[in-house]
Amino acid sequence: MSTRNKLKVLGLACTVIAGLAATTTANAHPRWVLPSHFTVSKEGGDWLTFDVTASHGTFVFDKPAGSEFAQVVMPDGRKERPNFVIRGKRRSIFDFYFEEEGTHKVAINNVPSYYTAYKAGRRDTVKYVKANKAERANILPEKVRDVSTQLSYTRAESYVTVGMPTEKALEIEGKYLEMRPLTHPSDIVEGEEVSFQFFFNGEPQTGVVADITREGTLYRNHQEQINVVSDKDGNVTFTPNVAGRYLMKANYKGELKNDPMADKASVNVHFTFEALLQ
Amino acid sequence: MTLLFKRLTQCLALLSCLLLPTFFATAAPIPVTAELNVEFSLPKIDTTMYARPYVAVWIENSKRKSVRTVELWVGKDEWLKDLRSWWRKVGRYDRALVDGVTSATRPAGDYRFTWDGLDNDGNRVAAGKYTFYVEVVREHGGRNFIRQKMTLGDKPFSHTIAPTEETGDIRINYLIK
Repeated sequence: MSTRNKLKVLGLACTVIAGLAATTTANAHPRWVLPSHFTVSKEGGDWLTFDVTASHGTFVFDKPAGSEFAQVVMPDGRKERPNFVIRGKRRSIFDFYFEEEGTHKVAINNVPSYYTAYKAGRRDTVKYVKANKAERANILPEKVRDVSTQLSYTRAESYVTVGMPTEKALEIEGKYLEMRPLTHPSDIVEGEEVSFQFFFNGEPQTGVVADITREGTLYRNHQEQINVVSDKDGNVTFTPNVAGRYLMKANYKGELKNDPMADKASVNVHFTFEALLQ
Repeated sequence: MTLLFKRLTQCLALLSCLLLPTFFATAAPIPVTAELNVEFSLPKIDTTMYARPYVAVWIENSKRKSVRTVELWVGKDEWLKDLRSWWRKVGRYDRALVDGVTSATRPAGDYRFTWDGLDNDGNRVAAGKYTFYVEVVREHGGRNFIRQKMTLGDKPFSHTIAPTEETGDIRINYLIK
């Protein structure tokens, strides 16, 4: 092999490695929640159980994302903690006794995280440090360039309805990325149109990119996902053609203006729902 | 001023004369003697784990709104939600209605029941287009969801519904006695 060819191979290998690194940072394992049931008809209530994990397959358990921050928004809007929380090696679980009539939101939202990207020295390698805009001045080297701090925040959520569906638990809190179901989560039916609305810091947000995948990706060749992007009012519309459990992964990336903590945001809503049989 | 008022009342009177008959025409109830007789059967199914199915029979109007749950053969209310369509459209909204109409599950066999043409509140329904629904779901078994469109008025009719996995022969007869 000539020296020239060797260099070529080396160059190719570097590109591959760089590519791999880029994909891992861009696609951390999505964290999601899977309820055992979405509907309760039993009088006096019932126990339901929830799996929480982070994985690339839809409803395949992989990394043990915690449930310590899990909360249940009750039909009247107050928040409760789950009754039992266990963390295993591939998932965490929690149980909750659902007895109040109406729709509950189940949310596992971590705290916001801040990373600062920068370049320093002769090379143009991008380096990262876990610091927000306020902290970064003390941490970064002196001669630093291309500094940018990103806020990351992910909501993993789902809805459970006991008896008659209600609206209170669907309300947004006005922080980060949020999804407000316009079609009630208990009224999502195969073959019928569904509408959701996205908000960023309480305002309708255009340009939110979401993919919606039905369970069972392990047993089919293609993801068969539905891709949507929110319109000028933050709305997306799609039709789940097959009944089953679905995961919607929505992401919004945008610049932040006059934010003391970050320059830009990459925020997610990972929403689990069922499409009922006709 | 008085003249104007008089004119206005005249106009209103004329308008209501014109509108009222059409209003009543659309809202006219079906005849008092009308009823819907249902011949219904559950097939004998040979299987190792047979459980009697849950059955819901209900009527919806042309706006797809339920007007009456005719039959509800169920066991524990924990599994009411497995009658997916009936639970979503009817059951979850009214516990009292569910309690009022519930009866025990039944074995395979032939059954007859009648819908008296009254809605859930006891009012005779208006003549017009309706849909007859049957939902049958069996533990360790299957689910069948049957729809039959029908026009209720002063003309009698019959419809035969073909058997499915979970239902046998079904025949509905609209009679005016």
